[in-house]
This record gives sequence, structure tokens and C-alpha cells, in this order.
Amino acid sequence: MALLSLSNISKIYQQGELTVPALQEVNLTVEQGEFAALVGPSGSGKTTLLNIIGGLDTPSEGEVMLNGRDMTRLSESELSDFRLFELGFIFQAYNLVPVLSALENVELIMVLQGRPEKERRERAEHFLTLVGLADQMDRRPSGLSGGQQQRVAVARALAAGPRLVLADEPTANLDSENATALLDIMYTLSQDKELQTTFLFSTHDPRVMERARRIITLRDGRIVADEC
Amino acid sequence: MTSVSSGSMKRQHAAGLPLALLLRLAWRNLWRHRKRTLITLTSIAIGFAMAVISIGIGDGSHNSMIRNAITLGEGHLAIQPKGYLEAPSNSLMIADGKGLTDQLQHPLKALAQQGIQVSAIPRISLQLLASTANNSVGVGLESVSGQAEDPRSEQLRKGLIVGDWLSEEQENGIVLGQALANKLKVRLGSKVVLMAGTQGGDTTAQLGRVRGIFQTGMDDLDSYLILAPLELGRLFLKAELTATGAQIETKTKTEIEAETAQPLTRIALFVLPAGAADQAQLLLNKAMNSSLNSRQLALLDWQTLMPDLVQFVALDDAGNYVFLLLILIMVLFGIINTVLMSVLERTREFGLLRALGLARIQLMLLVCAEAFLLSVLALLFGWLLGGGLHLVLSANGLDLSGMMGDSTAIMGTYMDPVIRPELSLNRIVQLSGGIFLVTLLSGLYPAIKASRVAPVDALKT
Repeated sequence: MALLSLSNISKIYQQGELTVPALQEVNLTVEQGEFAALVGPSGSGKTTLLNIIGGLDTPSEGEVMLNGRDMTRLSESELSDFRLFELGFIFQAYNLVPVLSALENVELIMVLQGRPEKERRERAEHFLTLVGLADQMDRRPSGLSGGQQQRVAVARALAAGPRLVLADEPTANLDSENATALLDIMYTLSQDKELQTTFLFSTHDPRVMERARRIITLRDGRIVADEC
Repeated sequence: MTSVSSGSMKRQHAAGLPLALLLRLAWRNLWRHRKRTLITLTSIAIGFAMAVISIGIGDGSHNSMIRNAITLGEGHLAIQPKGYLEAPSNSLMIADGKGLTDQLQHPLKALAQQGIQVSAIPRISLQLLASTANNSVGVGLESVSGQAEDPRSEQLRKGLIVGDWLSEEQENGIVLGQALANKLKVRLGSKVVLMAGTQGGDTTAQLGRVRGIFQTGMDDLDSYLILAPLELGRLFLKAELTATGAQIETKTKTEIEAETAQPLTRIALFVLPAGAADQAQLLLNKAMNSSLNSRQLALLDWQTLMPDLVQFVALDDAGNYVFLLLILIMVLFGIINTVLMSVLERTREFGLLRALGLARIQLMLLVCAEAFLLSVLALLFGWLLGGGLHLVLSANGLDLSGMMGDSTAIMGTYMDPVIRPELSLNRIVQLSGGIFLVTLLSGLYPAIKASRVAPVDALKT
């Protein structure tokens, strides 16, 4: 069974009397362990699609099956739980909690998951070490560079043990060196047989496209190409 | 490395956010804008300190008035004839005062064993006509026992400006207020004829001689009151008994005379500690209810004896509560402003937290926790400031004599011009609880607003 299956997903925004279709009859299947990129010009519907997959937005029509559950039928609190346990998010603007240290940011989701303190501390330290921040764990986001903050975000997304990591333009704000380093980290982690984490990116970045093993191209809210 | 089986996991906490993390986050969020938080805290603390001082001064002056009214009036409790309060009359009396005084001893001992000291002071109150060669004036005569320590007598004695205080050795020696002395145009040693009409239509007259003159600053006392030994007052009551036959008693005139009754108008009861007056009233009522009823007597508390004072205090308290309410409203909006600003600034962050899996209720709790911590700090600062000022004013007093001038009377009782603020435990709980509750409530709206953040919209901001 596919990890993610989208059937006839449409999303229509109403702007006054104007109807704007952001997604039109999108069908997509993603298997566990994939490292896939959603590409396309601005306004093609990449972020909207990621938001729908992440349960942050609801489709106007269609079905989103993730790990065997139809996300469109989940209640608000079930969606919260689903995001907490099944999904990891990496955002373009890092989005760390500014009053928490790097270690606390990574631990936060695991705290919400109810993991024991010892376990979450070990996992947080492990993933921060993996992303090369072993010596920056106690720093708050304001004391870290953009690249370091995005690494913390990657560690946070992965440490919670999600099945699927959704990354919206994760390298857009990073310089070339940091972007490459981050992609290396994510790619390496996606290859970890124990974790078997699936990555789905929305990106314009050719470096991400180079790394991706599957490229799904969106245009005007429709999938126009899906290449492995 | 611990492997993860995410699908089987459930939130372990009902609210999902452990208290320690909740408070840590709230605390750090509170200090993100140090200046803003400090300004808010300062304004709440100043408002709270004002409330503490204002309520303390109000309570201090009320309590001082009540204490003085009890001292100069009829004590915490009084036993007097039924109907006397509504229509005071020389003919309404406790005919066998001695018998009642003896009967009181047992319950008073029982109270003493419970740590409640009650002094029973015999009193005679009469409305008389005082005449001299120069003038005649209606007066109130209060007969004071020379044996028992009467707090009223002690208090008035402080105001003695000329002559000596009452003495049992001089039964017709009287002490009167200066204004009254002026009206009657008397001085030390002057004779004053005191006259009272009996119910039978006769007139009783006794001669008093001025031993001393007092001045309290209270017009009601200085221009109306004559103090005399108990025996002088008793002569009038005995004359009333002889004339009318003690119709208020179940016993006959002959029986009373046989007992050599010592008639009184009332027995004033002073309770120590004053807070135990209710308890004392309960026990005395229980012990003496049937006896009091059979004698047509009533045991009344000071609130019943001085309803005007109670009403004044209640009205003044209401004014203080309005002031407190205004301060609470000020605090409410101060905190709403701070917490709401803080929430609106963090819309994106709340969107992120929602996206990561934080439930609406957890976001609400987080914002409420910030309001909670703000309220704890506000209370702490408020008490430091308000409590400190309160202690200083309590120790030194607030001298209002400049504002009060010569008049020291309010609602017919003595008002000490130096007010010492007082705060009871109840008030401390009320003030703290009020501010605490308002602060918490003020966090609700921002908390609800935070919980309604839609992650997808918030993350776009």
C-alpha cells in the first residue's frame, strides 16, 4: 500500500465573485522512503498541495489517504494528532520557536508526543549531532545562522519519527554551501533503512531537483509531469 | 537509537503540554519584550497598591469608628428592655439589675474558659431636663459605675478639661460637656437640678453638682451628655418603679423592693477579642434566652444598636468597592493590551505550533499561562509596593486633622483624625483574588484569539 495517495484533489479559492482554482483533479501516489520534489512555477499550486497533504488546509474535493487514513475525514483534534505523530514539517522560513534552545525546539514535538524525557533527550541530541549542531544545542534561534536554524528544523522534523516529511522550499533562504549541506543531510537520512522517512519537497531550487529521485511537475494546479 | 513506531503513539497528557514546559514557555514569552512587561507590571502594581492603601484606609477608619462607637456606646453586646431601642423611655428598665448581673456570671465564666473575656458594665441612661438659674436644657444622663472599668468612662475621661472625674463618694457629683456647661452657664461646683417625669405624671428631681467638664470634639456629646455615678441615676429609676410598679417585669413591685433591686437601663458587654462577639452572643443567648424573654429583655449586638453606623460603613464600603472596580478595570485592560499585543505579534509562531501538532486547547493554555504568570508577578509587585506603603502608614498613621478641623465626629461617633490603615485576612484574600481573577480573565480573550489561528494562514504572515 502507498504511503500517500491523492485522488482527484481540487482546491478552489473564492475571491469575491471570482473563482480561482489552485489545484485541479490532482492524483498522486507516494511510496514509503521516496525522496520526491514538487516543482513548478510560482502559483502552480505546490504549497497548496503540501498544505493539503499536511492537513493544514482542506481540499474542495477529493481524498487524501495517508498511511491508510483519509485525512479529509479527520476532526480538528484528530488532525492535530495526525500531524504530531505522522508528519514532519520543514518551512522556508525555518520557523523555530524563538524562546526555546535548539535542543528544546527539537524536543518540543516529542514532548507533545509524550515520549519519556530520557528518550527524547537522546533522540534530540542524536539528530542535532547528525545535522552537525552538536556544539550549538543550547543556543536559541537568534544565536544561530539561517543554515543552522534550518538544520535544527530538519532535526526537529526527523527526531519526532514521522512517516512523511513535507518541506516547503527548504533551501530558498540558504546560501549555496548551506543548501548543499542540508540536502546532503536530508538525503542521507532518507536512505536510513531504520527510519525509512519519506521526503516531499516543493522547490524551485535546481540543487534539490538534482538530488530528488522523483520530480513531480505542477502547472496551473495540475500535475503535468511525474518523472523518476 | 530508539526506533519509532509513530502510528501507535497517542498523546499521553490530557492537555499534551506538561506543566513545566508550559510555564517555561510562558515565562520566556513574557520576557520577550522586557520593557513592555515591566511597564505593564508597574502599572498593575501601582493600581494594586492604590487599591490596598485605599481599602486599608477605608477599613482602618471604619474599624476605628466602630471601635470608638462601641467604646462610647453600649459595648459589643447589650442587654436592655425590649422596645427600648425603638422608643427609649425612662420607664423601660431592668428592674432587678442585681439579679440579672448575678445570673450572667455563669455564662461569662463559661466564655472565659473558651478564652473570651466579657466585661459586664451596668448602665443607666435617662432623658432629663437640666435646669440652672440661667437656663433649662434637655440632656441625656449616663450613669457610670465607679466599680467596674467602663471603657466609655475611660475614653471620656481623656477629654476632661476642668475639675475631677466622677467619684462614688460624691453621689451627686456630675461631669458634663463643655458646650452643655456653656448653655447652662455653669462652672465647677455649680448646682444643676435634674428633673424627670414619671409615667404616673409625677416629677422627680435630684440635685447634681458639677465636678468636672469634658470636651470630646463631638457635638452630640459635648452639648448633651451628663455623666453621673450609678447611684444618682438609680434614684430616678427607683422613683419610676415606685410610681408605676414595674410594669415591665413579671414580678410585682413589692417583690422587687424585697430583693432591694438595683434597677438598670442596660448591661453593656465588652468582648475581648472583639472578633468573638458573635460567639459570645450565641452562647449568652443560649444560656439566658428563657430568662431574658421572661424579663422582656433582649440581647442585642452593636450592629443592631447602631444601625446608622452600619449603614454608613456599608455605603462607604460600596464607594471603596467602586474604586476597586475601577482599578480592576484598569488592570484588566492593561493586561489585555499586553497579552493581546504579544499574541498578535506571534500569529506566525502560533500557526507553526498548530502545524507541528499543538492542539487549540494547548495554545489557549499557553496564553493563559502567560496571563497567569503576569498576574502572579503583578500580585507580588503589587503587594511589595502596596503592602510596604500599608505597613509604613499603619506604623505612623495618616494624620487628617488638618482636613477635619475641630470636628472629630462622623455619624455621631468619634473619628480619630490619625487613621491607621487596616487590612484583614479577608481583605487580603479579596484584593489578591480580585486582581488574580481579573488578570486571568484578561488572558482569556487573547487565548481564544490565539487558539483560532489557522496554521495555513498564519504561516503566510
